[in-house]
This record gives sequence, C-alpha cells and structure tokens, in this order.
Amino acid sequence: MTTILIVDDDELFRTMLEAMLRKEGHQVLSAVNGSEALALLESQSPDLIMTDILMPDGDGIELITALNQQQRDIPIVAMSGGRRTISLEFNLESAALMGVKATLPKPFTRDSLRQVLADALQG
Amino acid sequence: MAAVRPRAAASPPMPDTTAQAPAVRDATDSIAERYARLLHQAVLGDDPLLVETALAEAAELGREMMRAEIPLEEVSEIHHDALVALAQAHPQLLLAKVANRITAPLMEAYMAYSLTFREQLEHRTNAILNARIDQLRRLESIGTLAAGVAHEFNNILGSIIGFSELLTDEIEADKPGSQYLKHILQASFRARDLTARLLTFARDMPEVREPVDVVSVAAETLELLRATLPVSIRLTLEASVPQAWIMADASQIQQIIMNLCINAADAIQVRDGRIRIGIEPRLHGAATEPRSDSPLEPAQPLLRLSVSDNGEGMTAETRARIFDPFFTTKAPGKGTGLGLSVIHGLVTSMGGTISLESTPGLGTRFSIDLPALSGSLQPAAREPAALDENAPAVRNKNASAALDKNASAAHDENAPRR
Repeated sequence: MTTILIVDDDELFRTMLEAMLRKEGHQVLSAVNGSEALALLESQSPDLIMTDILMPDGDGIELITALNQQQRDIPIVAMSGGRRTISLEFNLESAALMGVKATLPKPFTRDSLRQVLADALQG
Repeated sequence: MAAVRPRAAASPPMPDTTAQAPAVRDATDSIAERYARLLHQAVLGDDPLLVETALAEAAELGREMMRAEIPLEEVSEIHHDALVALAQAHPQLLLAKVANRITAPLMEAYMAYSLTFREQLEHRTNAILNARIDQLRRLESIGTLAAGVAHEFNNILGSIIGFSELLTDEIEADKPGSQYLKHILQASFRARDLTARLLTFARDMPEVREPVDVVSVAAETLELLRATLPVSIRLTLEASVPQAWIMADASQIQQIIMNLCINAADAIQVRDGRIRIGIEPRLHGAATEPRSDSPLEPAQPLLRLSVSDNGEGMTAETRARIFDPFFTTKAPGKGTGLGLSVIHGLVTSMGGTISLESTPGLGTRFSIDLPALSGSLQPAAREPAALDENAPAVRNKNASAALDKNASAAHDENAPRR
C-alpha cells in the first residue's frame, strides 16, 4: 500500500482528493501548506507527494526547493489551477523545471490522476 | 488702354493704404478676404511698418489656415486669387516694382502653416500613443484579473469534477441521478475549457526561447481550439514533417496559432467551415514570395506555418491595414484589433515573416515563415536520443498521436520541452 501526502490550501479540494486517493487504495496524509508538509515529513516518509503550487505560508515551490536541498528522494506531482501568466510567477512549468516527477493541471479527471500516479510511482 | 474688368464681387475692399492704422480685422472676414487685404497692404504699403504688420498677419493667417484644416493647395489658390484681384484693381502696377513684395506674404503664410502642421502632427501622434499605452495597460490589468479568476475557478472545478466522479461510483447507472451527474460533469468540462481560453489570452509573453517542436505545439493548440470553436468548423492539421524544431517561446507559437484560427473562425459564415493548419519546410528565396518584411539569412532553412480558411476573405483595403494596431473588422466588443499586430510583432521578433493571400468570398491564408533549427525539418527520423528520465514531465499526449513515434525526441541533447 502506498502512502501519498497531499499538500493543498483549498480544503474542499483536499477533502475530494483524499477521498479519491483512499478509494484508489492509497493511504493519505495531508497538509495545508508547504511548512506543515515539511514538519510532517520529519516523522513520515510517504511514497509520493502531491502538492499545489501557490499556497499562502510556504508554497509548493518552497517545498520542492527544501526537499531538493534535503535530497529526499520522494517523487512529487505538482498541481495547479493557474498557468503561466503575468501575475502568477510560479507555476507548473517552474515546478517542471525543478525536476518534479509530473505536473497535473487542475481541474483533472480521475483517469488522468490514475495515469499520472501510475507513471510517478513506477520509478 | 485695355479695359479693366473689375471683379467687384471677388475683389476685397481695399483699405486706404495711406492710413497709419493697420487693417482692422473684421471677425466676419473670411480668411481669403483677410489675405487679399494684407497682400494689398504688403505690396502697396509705403510705410515699412505697415508691410511688416501685413507679413506678421500673413504668418498668423497661415496658422489659422492649418487649424481650419484648409488643404495646402488651397493656400496657394488663396494667394493666386488675391494676386489676380490686386492686379485687376491696380492695372498700372509694374511687376518690377513690386516683385520682391508679391511672394513675401505667401512665404510667411506657408512657413507658419507647415510649422503648425508639424506641431499638430506631433500632438496627435502623442495623443494616439498615449491612448494606445492606456489601452494596453487596461488590457494588461484585465489579463491579470482574468488569470486570477481562472486560477481560482480551476481549483473550484477540481473539487466539482472530483466529487462528481466519486459520486458516480455511488449511484447505479440506471438511476436518473447517474444521468444528472453526467450533466454536471459536462457542464464542468465546458467551464474548464472556458478558463483555458481565459488563461490563454491573459498570458503575457516572457521570452523563453528554447527548441520548440511546432508540430506538437500545433497539435496541442488544436485540441484547445476544438473545445473553443464552433463544432460546425472542421479543424485540421497537416504537417509534411513529423517534427519541426525552431527556437521560440512555445506559448507565443500557441498564441499565434490560436489567434489566427479564432480570426479564421470569425470570418467563416458558411455552414461547412474549414480551417487548415499547415506545417511544411520552405525553400527560401522562392519567387512567389508575396511580401516579406525582414531579411532572412539565405542559407537558413525555413519552416512555413500556415492557417487557411474558407471564410469570407478580405478586400484589398482590409488586407492593406490588417496588421495595423487596433484595426478590426469585428463588431465592437468582439475584438480589440490587437491580435494580428501582436502576431506580426511576435513573428518579426523571431526573425520570421508573415504574409497573407485572400480572396473575397473564397477565404484567407496566412503564411508565416520562421527560421528553423538546421537539420530539424528532414522527414526521416534521425537516431532517437534517449529521453532524460529527469526531464520535466510536461506531457503531450495529443501531439504524440499526430507524430511519427520513431521520430520523437530526435532532437539532439538539448532536451527540448515538448
């Protein structure tokens, strides 16, 4: 059984993703921002992290940076509802450049989630 | 002595040139009448002060003529008529005596006229420029707002779509609820496409030039367009090469294709609308080149990206202005008129050229020639390079379907993004 850490500030979305992942047979941990995720990662070792990019109090980019620095080899899937625009500086493309395993633009369907998870967990 | 035919009607009232006071300006006098009077004064005036006053008034009249938007050729006509009237009133005048005075008022008027013209031109240009800058700023802030809204909206849609799919598992397929859920999902996908459109247009263009495969970008854009354009329009992509690599910002290529296709769709009034995106290598220096704006290296391989439609086409007049900023044939509120001028700017900044052919009633084809990366347009695949395992996983399922699989990732060690 795989354990997946969800990091997202949107409570409704987090609740949905938790339910969906549990239904897919995964164990789920969740955090509301990057800082909380890092604190959680001190005691936990999930098989995969699914993180939003833009969050108040420690966003996904900071989380990815910290994990890269710690050399924690946990595959990351970056999620975001935003795309590259004038105002949103950090985005899925920035995450992709930072070496995340996959990017998943929101909203996504269960099929695309399954596909991305299968690829990301394969190694 | 020849009979003098005074043209009383046309002749201005002649002031008493011996009077010390300058001609009193009657506000109701027409410019022509005032000019005739001052010419008289300048030619026949005994007092140098009177002549100077007349010349000063000529300059003032020149400015007024410009402000009254009297065309330049009429300025000469006014002088001509005044001169003829003067000659008729004073048939005894010897040219030799007054030659140096005859053209002086005209020259004064002319000089003031052209100076005022230049001032006005500068003023108008500034006004237009400021208006454009204002409009661009407004567009930019609308873009920022749109991007923020779309972002939030995508998050919300994420929950709606996710929960709906979860609920699908709970409801038996033959229950009406199952159908309702399908509708919720359909509506959500429509909303998702809408935010995608919003984001595409809110996007600005930070220049990130890297090797980009135009075929993949076009295929990806096509999917987005299919969700955007009316279903009655058939959208096809025809690429004569499996891949076509250029140095560019992929989002700019996408913007170019999106804009051209949306314009094409807007021009289509017929039932079976067709838009074709074409990608092919282009031999440089072909004699059929309709118009090219920037010089291209003769040895540079070129890629031709074209968008053609069977829409209403354009008149020669529209064709001539089509790349002008803020020129639009669309109804108010339907287009900013910026699309094509932005495309023109983008293409030029990439070292390419854009041209168009259009026949009213038959359709339009925009052709864009872009410098291709050397060796990137061969139809045969080169030895495939291994994909870097750590390469960013920006996936492109849509494009790969349209591509020759053997040719994928054939582009060197640059580890291109798409």
